[in-house]
Order: sequence, then structure tokens, then C-alpha cells
Amino acid sequence: MSKPKVAFFDFACCEGCQLQVANIGEPLIDLLDIVQVVEFREVMSEKWDGEFDVSFIEGSITDEHAVERIKKIRERSKILVALGSCATIGGVNGMKNSFPLEEVGKYVYGESYKFFPTLQTKAVHQVVPVDYFINGCPIYQPEFITVLKCILQGIPYYVPEYPVCVECKLNENVCMYDRGLTCMGPVTKAGCNSWCINNGNICYGCRGLTINPNTEGFKEVLKKYNIPEDFLIKKIEMYNKCKELD
Amino acid sequence: MKIEQYKLLEKSLLKDFINSLIPIANVYAPVSKGFNNYVFQNIKSADEVSIKYIPTIIPPKKFFLPKKENILQFFIEDELKVEPVTEYENLIIFGVHTCDIAGIKCLNMVLSDKPKDTAYLIRKKHVTIIGIECNDYCDEYASCSFVGAHMPTTGYDLMFTELSEYFIVHIHSSKGMDIIEKTDIFKDASIAQLEELKILRNNKMKIFNNEIPTERRYLPDLFDRSFNANVWKELEQKCLSCGNCTAVCPTCYCFDIKEEVDLTLKAGERYRVWFSCQLDPFAKVAGGHDFRKERSARQRHRFYRKFRYHIDRYGMVFCTGCGRCSRTCMAKINLKEVLTSLIRESEAKIWRKWL
Repeated sequence: MSKPKVAFFDFACCEGCQLQVANIGEPLIDLLDIVQVVEFREVMSEKWDGEFDVSFIEGSITDEHAVERIKKIRERSKILVALGSCATIGGVNGMKNSFPLEEVGKYVYGESYKFFPTLQTKAVHQVVPVDYFINGCPIYQPEFITVLKCILQGIPYYVPEYPVCVECKLNENVCMYDRGLTCMGPVTKAGCNSWCINNGNICYGCRGLTINPNTEGFKEVLKKYNIPEDFLIKKIEMYNKCKELD
Repeated sequence: MKIEQYKLLEKSLLKDFINSLIPIANVYAPVSKGFNNYVFQNIKSADEVSIKYIPTIIPPKKFFLPKKENILQFFIEDELKVEPVTEYENLIIFGVHTCDIAGIKCLNMVLSDKPKDTAYLIRKKHVTIIGIECNDYCDEYASCSFVGAHMPTTGYDLMFTELSEYFIVHIHSSKGMDIIEKTDIFKDASIAQLEELKILRNNKMKIFNNEIPTERRYLPDLFDRSFNANVWKELEQKCLSCGNCTAVCPTCYCFDIKEEVDLTLKAGERYRVWFSCQLDPFAKVAGGHDFRKERSARQRHRFYRKFRYHIDRYGMVFCTGCGRCSRTCMAKINLKEVLTSLIRESEAKIWRKWL
């Protein structure tokens, strides 16, 4: 049996999630035993003009060209995976949606903005159907491997429907609030094994809000720590702005 | 109190004793993580240990029911091969408080009930528990006196109690005796120290007062009256469903079962991981139906699991009074306050009936 053909594509993003894949280390050798990478601009110059078994999409969709391109990739792909926050939830690119498009265009391109038509930022699933989601900014390498194994087995991958606190507590980290810091762990989707907090950083909420978050309750918690409410709103909007378009 | 079951250790020799354990087995003891947080951690020297500590982030249940535990290995080459797995190591946990010993006793009860959890029971045999008695409260969150977990009773191999000049050590098992006999730093106890221990325990009765305005024996009645209490509705707004309260609870044992294959896609393992009734997917079933969609219902469930259901089944309260759930709760849901509010609400209802 020939190995499944895998490709990586980037849209509006920093390409950091693809870098995480390229930088996965030792497991890469075993990974290449079970898949054939046919297109991956960041690490190779070869292209593929046939069908893809699995396409990984990094980045969000921000203009008409991107819409056309992602639709074509979708048509050529049996399975399409959103890779990283920009692709899964719009990510930081979503902050653009807080402003009128004209204002955004002028800010970046000055008066020639009319030559660069732009759209509201969308996550990949808001344009074409997506089969698997790998959250994170950047993605968490062990989760990437887990999802890839699910894809190759033909089974679904369920992103944990609970907050980062669950994993963080099991890792016995000192709570960031005990250290006097504000952390997005309580309202952010888990699956990263509280990667940032394990390494002494706060959670920025890069994986997006967990399902059914108690944002009102969280505001009350922040009040107790004298943290202003709009601080939370800004933190949420940093990654979750595109949710409004769902 | 049989005098031959007691030994004495000079206070200055405690570190020597801990160091004497390290060659015997993997030793885990409370280690400070800063910000008044402690963790039971593998130690290489007694210098790492915090003898005085408030309950650790996660209780010692992690040694009995690992957070992630492989239970099965499978190989899918030509035919399916399946092998059960039991993971265990010889370990000594030093410095366990009586609340956490009470927690282990609760786990023992449930996991030796049918169907027996063989892996748990095997692992348990390889664990030696060395306790340290609390002569005073750790902090304001504890309610160990209410549940009767503030005094050493059973469930340990050795128990250290600090007296004015010595640690007096209660030997409670042959495993404990073996450890004592490995070193020559212990002295025999005399009547005077046993007297001092008695006085200390009597004094503790004055220091540790029932923290909840009711008694344990009234709990079944209280909870039978409180299923629709407003207290639960208030928790709906507060609770963030982060699952911290159950993760840190010494008597929560719910788990989920998962499987993962390796990169050959031909072998893998089935494992269990801790799970929590406070989390969204916990009571979700096929078709997307959720038996406990509201946070209030989940919190209520937690309290009934501690103070009602297990009384019927095991005749035990499944709270050890360690205070971890209240200490860790971001939303400041406090177990003592919730119980007190329940009592107040229930009393008000009874009075209304009478008047």
C-alpha cells in the first residue's frame, strides 16, 4: 500500500505552526515512514499537481485570492486539517474584524489601499469544510502527532471540551493567580497539556474559548483580583474575534 | 497504647531518618513550590522536604491511582494480541497528613469493592505510608475535625508526632517495623512520652473544633432535604467548571479510558486518565444528550458524592476535610460555606413548616 500523500499550505499566518512540524525532532523519522510529504513550501521545493490524501492548512482566509485558493485545495484534498489558531479560529488575524475594512486598508497601504482589496478575517472552516482541528499558537507538537495518527486510522479526534486548568492542575503547577498574574487557563480549550504554564508563562488563550465558558463567572473572579473587565474582553478578542462569524 | 509499638527519634535526627529511606525505595515527600504551594515529589535528599506544609496541590492519591495509567497493550500485526498491564513501583511516601490518609482509606473502600480494581490493589501493596500528625490547623480552609480526620487512627505504616523534645513514632505495621529496624537512630519510648502524647491529643480536642454547624450524623437528613436548595442555583453563576476541585480531591476517583497507537500504527496502549464530573463532556452521551448540563447540577453532584451517596453505600463520609477544593477554587466556592448555607436554608424551611 502506498503511503498517504500529505501536503502543507499557508495562508495569512506567521508559518510558525509549520515550523513546529519541521522542528518536531526524532518522531519525524517515524512520521516519514507512514506518510509521504508531497508539498511543504517551508521545507522543500517540490510541488504536487495531483490529489492530496491529507492537506494541512495554516493561516486564516483574508482576501478573495485566498478564498479561491482554499476552495481549490479543498477540492483536491480527501481530508483537510486546520493547523494552528489562525486556521482553526482565525487567531490574531481576527483582530482586524474590530475595525472597518477601509480603515484597516489605509493603515497598512496608505492611499493605495484600493489596489489591495481585503475581506474580514475568517477561520478555514468558515470558508470550506474542515475535517480535523489542531489548535494552538503555535500548535503543540504531541497533539499534532496524535491528530495525524487519528487521521491515518480513520477515526475522529476530539479536542478536549474543558479548560486548560484541568491539565494544569494535573501537572501540579502553582496557579498563576497565586503568583499575582492573570491567566486565560480557566476559559481556554485544553489539549496543550498546559504547555505555557509548565514553562512558567501564563496562558494567552491561544486555543480559543472552551465550549460553554462561564465568562460572567470569570468576570466575577477577575473582580476579586482587581482586574478590570475590559482587560478580559481584550484578551478574549485577541484570539476569538472570528467566532462572531461562526 | 502499647509501649512497644512506640519509638522515639531525636528531632535533630529527622533528616537522617529521611535520608536513610532513600536507598530503600523511591521516596516522595512534600516539597515547596513557592507561593505556599507544595507537591509530593521524588526526593534525593532530606533537605528538599518541607516538614511543615499545608496540603499539597494534588493529594497522594496520585501514587495509588496515577493520573495516566496504562492498563492494556495491544498489537495489531496479523492478528490482534492484547496484554493487560499493571504498573507499580516500590515507594515510600513520607509526611502524609491524617486527612490524606483518610482519603486513601476512602479509595481503598471503593476500589476493593466489586468489581475489584486489581491494578490499584497491587500498587497499594508496594506503597509505604509514613504520616506526620498535625498538632494544629494548617489553615482556615480545613474541616478535618468535622469529618474526624484530624487524629491518627489507622491507614499508615508509621506515624510521627512532634512532642516537646522528640518525635514519637507509632509503628502500625510490619512494613513500618522493618523500616525502624533498618537504622539504629530510634530509642524506646517511655511512659513519660506516652503521657505527653496523651496530653497532646487531649489538647488537640480543644484546638480542633467542629468547623461546620452540624454533626456528621445529621448529614443524610440534611442532604435529603436539600436537593432543590437555592444554594446550588447560586453556584451556577459562580462555578467556572474548571474541574480543579475534583482533581485535588483525595476521594475523587472518576476516570476516562482512552487508546493511542504508536507511530507504526500497529501497536498501542489503552490507558485511563483522571476525569471530572465538573467538566462538560462528563455526563454527555450518544446523541449529544447531557445529564448534567447545568454547572449547578454538577456542583450539587460533587457535594452529594462527598456527603450523601457514599454514606448509604459504604457508611463513610467521602470528605477528608483537607480543604483543597476550597483553597484551589478560582471562584472561591468554599466547602465550609456551602455546607453552612445548606444548613441555614434547611433550618429556615423547617421553621416555616412549624410556624
